[in-house]
Amino acid sequence: MTSVQIFTNLVHRSFAYYACRTIKRALFWLALLVFALWAAFPFYWMFTTSLRPDRELYSRNVTLLPQDLTLNHYHIEFTRYLYVNRLSNSLIVASATALATLAISCLAAFSITRLRYPGRSTLARSILLVYLIPSSLLFIPTYTIMSRVNLNNNLLGLALTYLSFTVPFCTWMLMGYFKTIPLDLEEAAMIDGCTRFQSFTKVLLPLALPAIAASGIFSFTLAWNEFLYALVFITDSKLQTLPVGLSSHIQADIYMWGPLMAGSVMASVPIVLIYILAQRVLVQGMLAGAVRG
Amino acid sequence: MGGERRLGYLLILPTVLLFGGLVAFPFLSAIWLSVTDRVVGSGGNFVGLANYLWLLRWPDLGLMIFNTWFIATVGVALKFVVGMCAALLLNVSFRGRTFFRGLFMLPWAVPTFVAVLVWRWMYDHHSGVFNTVLMRLGITEHRLSFLGNPDLALLSVIVFVVWKGFPFFGLSYLAGMQSIPNELYEAAKVDGANAWQQFFYITLPGLQHVIAITCLLSLIWTANAFEMVYLLTGGGPSNRTQVFTVLTYQLGIVNLRLGEAAAVPLMFFPMLAGLIVVVSRYMLRNQ
Repeated sequence: MTSVQIFTNLVHRSFAYYACRTIKRALFWLALLVFALWAAFPFYWMFTTSLRPDRELYSRNVTLLPQDLTLNHYHIEFTRYLYVNRLSNSLIVASATALATLAISCLAAFSITRLRYPGRSTLARSILLVYLIPSSLLFIPTYTIMSRVNLNNNLLGLALTYLSFTVPFCTWMLMGYFKTIPLDLEEAAMIDGCTRFQSFTKVLLPLALPAIAASGIFSFTLAWNEFLYALVFITDSKLQTLPVGLSSHIQADIYMWGPLMAGSVMASVPIVLIYILAQRVLVQGMLAGAVRG
Repeated sequence: MGGERRLGYLLILPTVLLFGGLVAFPFLSAIWLSVTDRVVGSGGNFVGLANYLWLLRWPDLGLMIFNTWFIATVGVALKFVVGMCAALLLNVSFRGRTFFRGLFMLPWAVPTFVAVLVWRWMYDHHSGVFNTVLMRLGITEHRLSFLGNPDLALLSVIVFVVWKGFPFFGLSYLAGMQSIPNELYEAAKVDGANAWQQFFYITLPGLQHVIAITCLLSLIWTANAFEMVYLLTGGGPSNRTQVFTVLTYQLGIVNLRLGEAAAVPLMFFPMLAGLIVVVSRYMLRNQ
C-alpha cells in the first residue's frame, strides 16, 4: 500500500467512526429530551398555569408559552382565610408527627440494636412487616376506634394515626444507622461511669444526628403528603389539612385552576427540594436498606 | 443482666403499644366489623357472612377486582420498563447529568395529591393541555374526555400511575448499578460482547435482587393506592376504574355502611399478606 492509500483508508474509517458516534450521541440526547419532557412537563404546566391570567387559561387557543404573567392567583389563594388555616393545620400535624416519631423510634432502635433480651429479633422483623402493611387496609376499623375515643376531628389524633407508618419506617432506618456505629465508644463511656441509658443519650444520639435529622424530615413529609386518613378522620372544614382542603375544590362544580395550581406550587416546592436533596437516603429507607447505593 | 432486659422492654414498649393499638387491634376489629351489620351510629349485630355474600352478589365486583390488579400489574410492568430506561440513560456520564437526574426525580418528589391535581388539569375536557395539543396537531377532531370516557379512563389512570412511580424504580436501579463491578463489563468487552449482551448477561442479573424488591413493593403500594383513583376519576365512569380502596371509602365513609366496608379490604388481605411476606424475606436476606 502506498502512503496515499493508507491515508485515504484512514480518512474513510475515521469518517465512518465519527458518523456512527454522532448518530449514537444524537439518539442519546433525543432519548434524554423525550424523557425529560415526560418527567418535567407537568411541573412546567403547574408553574405556568399558576402565573397566567384566566383569560389565557380558558381561551380557545391556549399557547404552550405564557403570553402574560401575573401573581394574581397566588394573591387570591394566599389571602383566602382557609388556605392559611389549612397550612397551619398541616404544619401542626406534620410537626407533631415528626417529634413523636423521633422520640419513639430512637428509643426502639436503641433497644433493638444495643440491648439483649428474648424476643428482640421477632420485634425487629415485626417492625419491617408493619412498615409493609398499607394504611388503606385498616382505615375503616381505625375510624370506628377513633370515633369511640373521640379523636376524630382532632389534629393530634390524626398525627397519632400517622405514627403507625412513620414509626416503623424511621425505626428501621435508624436501626440500620445505629448498626454502623461501633460499640467501643459506648463501652468506653460506661467504663467512665455512664449508665447504659446515658451511653445512649450522651454518646450514641449525638453520633447518629444525621440519621435522626433525616428521619425527622421524612416523617414530616410523609405526614404532610398524607391524604386518606386526613380525609376520613377530619370532617370539620376548619381542621382540614392542605391535601384534603386543596383537592376539595376539585369536587365542587367550578374549578379555579389558577389559584389551585398556585396553592399546589406552594404546598409542594419545599417537599420537592427535600426529596431531591436527600434522595439517596430516602430510596434506601424505602427499600428498607436492602439495596445500598 | 436483668437491668438490661428491663431497659430493653421499657424502651420498646411505646412502639409495641402503638402497633397494638393502631395495627393489631384495628385488624381484629375489622374482622369483627365485617361480620356485623354495623352502620355509623347504630347496629353491630352478628350477621355471619352476609356482608361477604352481599359483596359477591354485587354485579361490578369482578370489574373492581380486575381494575385493582390490572392497574397494579400493568402499572408495575410499565414502571419497570420506563424506570430501567431512565436508569440506563442516567448511568452514562455526560455533562449536565446531575441536572437531568433532578428532572427525572420530580414526579417521585412531588406530593401525590399535587401530582393528581396537575394531571386532572392537563386531562381536562375543555381547557386541558392534552386536548389542545392533540387538536392542534390534528390527531383528534373532537376533544377527548380522558377521565370520563369509559374506554379511556383506565388507561389515563395507568399513565398517571406510571408517571408518578417510574423515578423510584429508576433511582433504585441506578443505585444498584453502582454496585456492579466495572471489571465485569471490561472483561465482557474484551470477549467481544455488544451492549445488548452486556445488559442481559451482566446488568440484569446484577440487579435481580433490586428488581424483585422494587416490583413487589410497588405492586403492594399500587394495589393499595387511594388518592390516585379517588381524585382522578372517583372510580367512575360507572365503576370502570373502581378499585378496592375507593370502594371501601364509598361504602364506609360516604354510605356509612361499616360492615360491608370492612369486608372489602379483607377479601384482598390473603393476597396482600402473601406479597408482604415474600418481599420481607427478600429485604431481610441482606441484613
